[in-house]
Amino acid sequence: MASRDLLGAAARPESLTFRQRWSHYIAVLYCLVATLIGLNLRDAALTATISYTNSQAGIRAQYPANWLIDESGNYVFRVRDLSRPGFKTTIQVATRPVSPLTSTRNVLDALNLSRAQTLAAYEVLSEEFYALPDDVAATAMTYTFVDTQDNPFLQSIPVVVQGLDILTIRGGQALVITFLADASAFDRLRPVFDQFLDNLEF
Amino acid sequence: MRTALYLAVGVVLAVIVSSAVEGQGQTIDLERIRRATVFIMQARSVSSDLIVTCVGSGTIVSRDGLVLTSAHATFPSRLCDGETLIVAFSVRADEPPIPKYRAEIVQADIGLDLALLRITRQFDGRLVEPGSLALPFVELADSNTVQLDQTITVVGYPGIGHDPVDIRRGTVGGFVAEPRGGDRAWIKTLAEIPGTMSGGGAYNQDGQLIGVPTTAPIISSLQGAACIPVQDTNGDGLVNASDVCIPVGGFINSIRPSNFARPLLRAATLGISVELPLALGTSFASIPERQPAFRRLFFAPSVNEAGMPTSVIRSLPAGATSLYLFFDYENMTPETVYELRVTVDGIPNRTFSLAPVRWSGGERGLWYIGSVNQPWPNGVYDFTLFANGVTSGTARLLVGGAAEPAPTFSDIVFGLQDSRGTPLGNGFVLPTGDIANARFIYRNMQPGLPWTVIWYYEGIEVRRDEQVWTDGLSGAKTVGLAGEGGLFPGAYRLELYIENRLAATSDFTIAGAQEGVFPRVFTNVRFASAPTTAETGRTASASAFPTGVRAIYGLFDWQQIRTGTLWTLRLSVDSNPFYERTAPWSGQESGADFSVRLVGEMGIPDGTYRMELLVNNVPLQLAQAQVGIGQLPIDRFASASGLQLRGQILDAETNRGIPGVSVILLTAEYSVSDFEWREDQLFALAVTDRNGRFQIDRPLELLVPYSVIVATAGYLPVTADGFRIGPETPNPLDLTIYLTRG
Repeated sequence: MASRDLLGAAARPESLTFRQRWSHYIAVLYCLVATLIGLNLRDAALTATISYTNSQAGIRAQYPANWLIDESGNYVFRVRDLSRPGFKTTIQVATRPVSPLTSTRNVLDALNLSRAQTLAAYEVLSEEFYALPDDVAATAMTYTFVDTQDNPFLQSIPVVVQGLDILTIRGGQALVITFLADASAFDRLRPVFDQFLDNLEF
Repeated sequence: MRTALYLAVGVVLAVIVSSAVEGQGQTIDLERIRRATVFIMQARSVSSDLIVTCVGSGTIVSRDGLVLTSAHATFPSRLCDGETLIVAFSVRADEPPIPKYRAEIVQADIGLDLALLRITRQFDGRLVEPGSLALPFVELADSNTVQLDQTITVVGYPGIGHDPVDIRRGTVGGFVAEPRGGDRAWIKTLAEIPGTMSGGGAYNQDGQLIGVPTTAPIISSLQGAACIPVQDTNGDGLVNASDVCIPVGGFINSIRPSNFARPLLRAATLGISVELPLALGTSFASIPERQPAFRRLFFAPSVNEAGMPTSVIRSLPAGATSLYLFFDYENMTPETVYELRVTVDGIPNRTFSLAPVRWSGGERGLWYIGSVNQPWPNGVYDFTLFANGVTSGTARLLVGGAAEPAPTFSDIVFGLQDSRGTPLGNGFVLPTGDIANARFIYRNMQPGLPWTVIWYYEGIEVRRDEQVWTDGLSGAKTVGLAGEGGLFPGAYRLELYIENRLAATSDFTIAGAQEGVFPRVFTNVRFASAPTTAETGRTASASAFPTGVRAIYGLFDWQQIRTGTLWTLRLSVDSNPFYERTAPWSGQESGADFSVRLVGEMGIPDGTYRMELLVNNVPLQLAQAQVGIGQLPIDRFASASGLQLRGQILDAETNRGIPGVSVILLTAEYSVSDFEWREDQLFALAVTDRNGRFQIDRPLELLVPYSVIVATAGYLPVTADGFRIGPETPNPLDLTIYLTRG
């Protein structure tokens, strides 16, 4: 009998007190809020940007935080995501002098001829109209090439890279905004570039 | 904290492991040298194939891909007629080389048998972007500091392509003197070096390049040639003697000192090319069809500043440490291969022999091979000279016994005689005029001894005086040569005989107008800038040019220089020569505005430029000008010394290498917390390969605190400040770093 009473007592649902019930509600709510804050912080960290201004070139941009910025090359600036395995996702802004008679076609040809000299398996995939923010007309050229390791003592497997140039001619110079990423992740990483374009002022 | 601990543990483990492996107390950085040693193939395009025509070793001497090697295996010639140069590396120390790049010759001295290549393309033909290469390289030593019996290490590829880099050790057995290079034209070694290692590197104990092991294969159609066919180049299904064969030399015992490569390296680094007018080209004329020949072999105990023998000897006393074999040469070209074989009491002696090497002199003239500060053991020495594998002259010398007080003439100098009978001038270049005087020293002469004076002009005897000695036992005497119509410009020679035995001889040059006792050969020497070469004569001279000027001209007028007279043009920047060429004068006898054009690929670099003009090693004129601030910029990548850092990044769970990881080293000014992800804050950046291996492409400096960041997506980053290396740290330093997924 004692065991039956004991079992019966154990099986019987015990009603929670008002205080206990609200404690549970608050705990669940607290977890939800913390999760939301965490997600928000994560998104903020992942989409955090750093301001860049180049008054000489007349360019203002927001590039992803923790990307390595370089202004020493033959471009206005270049940022790379060094934490990316394989090919380092790259956004680059460059200018080229043009004459009043220079067309977009001429600039693209010059880019293609130059790249074909240095990039392996370089191939243009498409050229199409592109509208930059503020309805600035531009041309988008998609291309691909194979990236190889420069160090002759390392064994690296070449990576297929997809590139996208946004080209517009304005103010006596051609502005070439380039996005380069591992071809297998190009579409997934594209929003980063779109965000960059949205914030670009020139 | 945890990340720093990981790195610290990795460093400690790497140090322990590396120390255990090394453990040899070895100071020379062989790993870096091995990685800087390349295999070079010269190839020729035939249809769609590349046929290897010549091979050799080379050494990378700059971070951006300048390769020092032999000219004979790279410069297109009859023997090596390829037009493409391929550079191959051994990715692993024990593996044969793999083609990686193509290169072009940017500087070469065929006679010195040195060439400097620049890597310009990937192996598949793509252009290498300037500045994108960061290759391991070695520094050049001052080869004048090399000592006799010093231990050296010779590195190169011993086969024709299938062997890994080989390392041979030996000692410096002596030095060979030649007119072109002075007392140290060659460093001799007794190390066993196969001919295919020609073009590689010889190193001192500090791991600096002291010279290039050199031997030149003899033209294949002649006796003594050695070459190996390796490809079916004629498509007959067989690889045999009918196919193109790759020439290989015999043994190497000669090292061309690295100081000869400095001007080439400096010119290539500066990006300056020197252009001379075609009509007055300084290269030697077309290759003569006649067989090269040596004649009038004789010995001298020493040479003077003009490279002339002080006297002529028939024997050398015991204990002598200096000897020169002189000879006349003709029909020589920079492609001629010459060799000296020496036997002592009939036994071949490699110490005093010179393996087959390229000819670095002119087409004809007086030459010597000598050695100084090296004991010559007693014995009967037989010297045999070969030209393109053919015996071309022999001479015998006895070394031993006491010095005998025999009658001698010595120390001939030339000039114009003053009122007291003393010849004045620069000694070996006289102005045109009516007379030339020579003064010489005599010793142990006896009255009544027959002696003879013979003067030559351009190889033809023009005067002979046979006399009986009437002066004292010892002293100085002057003889003269006078011409009725004056002495013509050109090359002269004086021979003095005692009892019909050659006792002393010397060459001298007459050129230029008379200006006191000195010749005025080159005048109005100056620098100028002009849009085109044709306009240089109308341009005023200048002593300063703006930064970035693309071309400047060195100009001078000349008078009374006979065709064929050897003259030297030397160009230097900040007192460092970057161009020197000695060649026969091939222009008119007198003229104005000889122009030497200096062109810079990216503009002439800032610096103080000097142009010197010499005849017979005698400096006659110079001009100097500044470009920009008048001083060369400092190259922060110029130093090859320091510690090589490499290693592997592994997954802490799987213990497998992680590809694509970024290994970032910050400069000493920044810590990890200061890092703003700016490129100019980086000291170096490396990315791991498919095995997780990485190599930092810049040597780390001792005791400098670096900050390290190792990062990749999917793993917790590892960071550390104050990463510094000490003198005891093994070089190269192998790091193993584990990353934790996160």
